[in-house]
This record gives sequence, C-alpha cells and structure tokens, in this order.
Amino acid sequence: MTRRIRHIAGALGLITVAVVALAAPAGASGETIGGCAIDKAIEAEEHLPSLHEIHDEEFEAEFEALEKEMESCLEAPSAIIPELDEIIWGGTAFLVLFGFMVWKGFPAVQGAMNARADRIAADLDAAEQAKVDAVKIKTDHEAELSGAKAEAAGIIDDARAQADQLKGELQARANEEVAEMRARAAADLESARSQAISDLRGDVSQIAVGAAEAVIKANLDRDAQSALVNAYIDEVAGRG
Amino acid sequence: MNVLALEFPPVNHLFDWPSIWFDGTLFAINKTVLIYLGSMLVTMVIFTLAGRQRDSLVPSGVQHVAESGVTFVEESVVMQTIGPDGKKFMPFLTTMFFFILFSNITEVIPFLQFPANSRMAIPITLAIVVWCIYNFVGVQSQGFFGYLKNSLFPPGVPKALYIIVTPIELVSTFVVRPFSLAIRLWANMVAGHLLLVTFAILSATMWDAGGPGYAGALVLSWPMLILMTGFEILVSVLQAFIFTILTAVYIGGSMHPEH
Repeated sequence: MTRRIRHIAGALGLITVAVVALAAPAGASGETIGGCAIDKAIEAEEHLPSLHEIHDEEFEAEFEALEKEMESCLEAPSAIIPELDEIIWGGTAFLVLFGFMVWKGFPAVQGAMNARADRIAADLDAAEQAKVDAVKIKTDHEAELSGAKAEAAGIIDDARAQADQLKGELQARANEEVAEMRARAAADLESARSQAISDLRGDVSQIAVGAAEAVIKANLDRDAQSALVNAYIDEVAGRG
Repeated sequence: MNVLALEFPPVNHLFDWPSIWFDGTLFAINKTVLIYLGSMLVTMVIFTLAGRQRDSLVPSGVQHVAESGVTFVEESVVMQTIGPDGKKFMPFLTTMFFFILFSNITEVIPFLQFPANSRMAIPITLAIVVWCIYNFVGVQSQGFFGYLKNSLFPPGVPKALYIIVTPIELVSTFVVRPFSLAIRLWANMVAGHLLLVTFAILSATMWDAGGPGYAGALVLSWPMLILMTGFEILVSVLQAFIFTILTAVYIGGSMHPEH
C-alpha cells in the first residue's frame, strides 16, 4: 500500500471515529420530559399575574393553558415524516459514496478480485503444465526403463548362452582328458603287469632250479627232503 | 407513557434527535445525520483499503468484508434477479447495500445504539431513486409505450383478467412500490429499536427495583435483551439485503418484462 493511500485511509478513519464519537452522546428528543415541564412551569409563572389580582375563571384558564403547554412536552415530530435536513445530508452522503464507488472503490476491489482470479488461473495453468511435463518425463523414463530392462534381459540371455557353450566345451575337454588319463593309466597298468609277470616268471624259474638242486643234493629220506624244501622256501621268503 | 408500572418514554421521543449544529436550518446536523456520514466514511475506508491489497492470495480483514459484499451482491442479487446484463448496476447496488447495512447496524453498536434508517429520510429517498431508475430502465429497454403496455398488461395473463390486473399493476408498479420499499425498511428498524429499548428499560427498571427485581432482570429481561441484540444484527443485514434485492428485482423486471 502506498504511503498516500495509507494517509487517505487514516484520515478517513479518523473522521469516521470523530463522527461516531460525536454521534454517541447526542440524546433523543434533546431534553427530558421533566425538564421540559419545569421549563414550561417557570415560563408560566413568570407570565402569571399575582394570584390575588385575578378571578377564579381567569386562573383556571391560565392553568388550562399551562397544562396544554406541559402536554406539548410529550409531543415530538412524527417518526414517519422525513426531516428535510436528514434527507439533504443523507442523500448527499449516499450520492458522494456512490460517486466514490463508481470512481474508485468498486473498480479497485473488482480489480483486486480479478487480479487474484487471474493469478490463481495462471497458477492453475502452470500447475497443469507442470503436471503434463511430469507425466511426459515419467513416460520417457518408463520407456527408457523398459528398454534398459529388455537390453539387460538380452545381455543375460547372451551370457547364459555363452556360459552354456563354455560349460559344454569344458565338459567335453574334461571328458577327453579323463579318457586319455584312463587310457594312459590302463597302458601303464598293463605294462606293469607284464613286467611283474615277467619278473615273477624269472623268480619262479630260479626257485624251481634252486629247489631242484637242493633236492638232488640231499637225496635223502622223505623227512629230510621236506625239511630241505621248507628250509629253501624259508630262505627264498627271507630273500623276498 | 406508563405501561405495566414502567416509565416508558413516548415513542416519538426515541427517534427524534436534537440538532448538534446548524439548528433551525436546512443543514441541521443531528445524530441521524452523523450516522449517515459515518456509514459513508466507513464504506469509503473499507473499499479504499480493500482495493489496495492486491498481493495477498487469501483476502483478510477489510478486504474480506469488501470482497464478500461485492461477491454477495453479484451472485446472490444481480445474477439471481437481472442476470449478466445487470452487472452495470453493481456499483449502485453495492453502494446501496453497504450504506443501508452500516446505517442499520449502528442499532447494536454500543454508545450509538440507534438505527439511522428508523428515520424515514434515507428509506424514502432511496426508494424514490430506485423508482426513478427502474422506470428509466424500463423506458430505455422497451420504449415508453412498450414499457407502459408490459407493466399494465403483463404478458401471459388471460385478457379477461386485465380488468382486475391492470389497475392493480398501475397502483402497485407506479405508486405503491416506493412506499412499500421505504416503509418495509423503516418499520423493521423502528420495531427493532423499540424492542431493544423496551428490554433495556425493563432490565434497568427491574434491577433498580431490587429484591425479586434482580432475579427478573437477570433471568428474563436481560437475556432477552442479549437475544434481541443478536436478532437485530440479523435484521440489519437482512433488511439491507431485502432492499437491495427488491431494487434488483424491479430493475430486472423493467429490463426483461418476459420474466
């Protein structure tokens, strides 16, 4: 609010307070009925001749007049008949207010309301635009995400296929190596067996020859031959 | 006036205010006049301040009062009775609503306690202004004879009924309306002021009597005074609204006779 407007509003406010303050103490009908009656009585007393100077008829007439005067204290202008001064001031106040409202008050308030409505409409439009943008961004992100997911799935499938292929190759190679090792082991085993048989055959021949020599040397009885054979066998066993 | 042992002032004395300045002239200023001037100034202050608060998104204080009033007059009065054509009467109707409202509401404001519209000056002045406006609008919208014809011979009424309807419409539209408009407002405010004065005097008198009077004042008259004060706030607003909406109805009828 500009300083000028604040000053105008302040001045109008002060005037309003002054008007209200002035209006408050004013009393309806001005004076009290009792006060009015006393005034009338004093006024009558001033005009009333001395009691001993007038006759009873005149005295009664004077009192009737005083009574009427006092009753007039109860009278007031009719409430339904408009007072001209109130019409002039009230009508002028309304005209001045109407002029102010047409010139300044109404357009200002209407303008403030329209400005606010425009601002709210602009804010709503901006919010709507932001919402549309957000939805678009979300859609884009979702599209990107689904693309990334598809790509990841493809990569996983490829990796899985490669792994399967690698696994097959490794397995085949392992099988080959095992077969080779088995073959080699079988060959080694056969070779060792042949060697063992050959060695055994030589040893048996020597044993047989030795046994035969011993039998011939002793040429003794059955018990002696058995003892010799057993001794030889023990000997051979002790050698082996 | 002595009613039920209560000293009640003569009714006319409750509404007749002595002059404060310029006594005996055409420009005499009394309490009623000061309330009219106060109503004018208060409305000016409210609209001056309200028109300046453009930055706030939510109205507050006097801005709320002014904007609520304008919106109320627009939506509940103009759009309901005249339609979009009636928006050009918004400043007039808004001025009338606020001026009458603030002249009425002084009835319950402490130390003022007098509704300025319980005097006939403004009700009859505004009613005559309204009479001039709706007749002018009628002649402007329909032409002199068209307005006269539509006013006296309302469309859609069986022709045989015109014998009864036409004199009634003549008196009603061109004679009675301003008086009914003025007297409705004036009489309501007079009645409200009398009610408040009655219960205020009753409360004071019973309290002064002492003894059982204390109980009577506290239990009966004083609560009624409070109740009536609240009721008169409602009446003040309602009468301002009724005067304004009837004005709009008369203007709308002059602009659109088919309605």
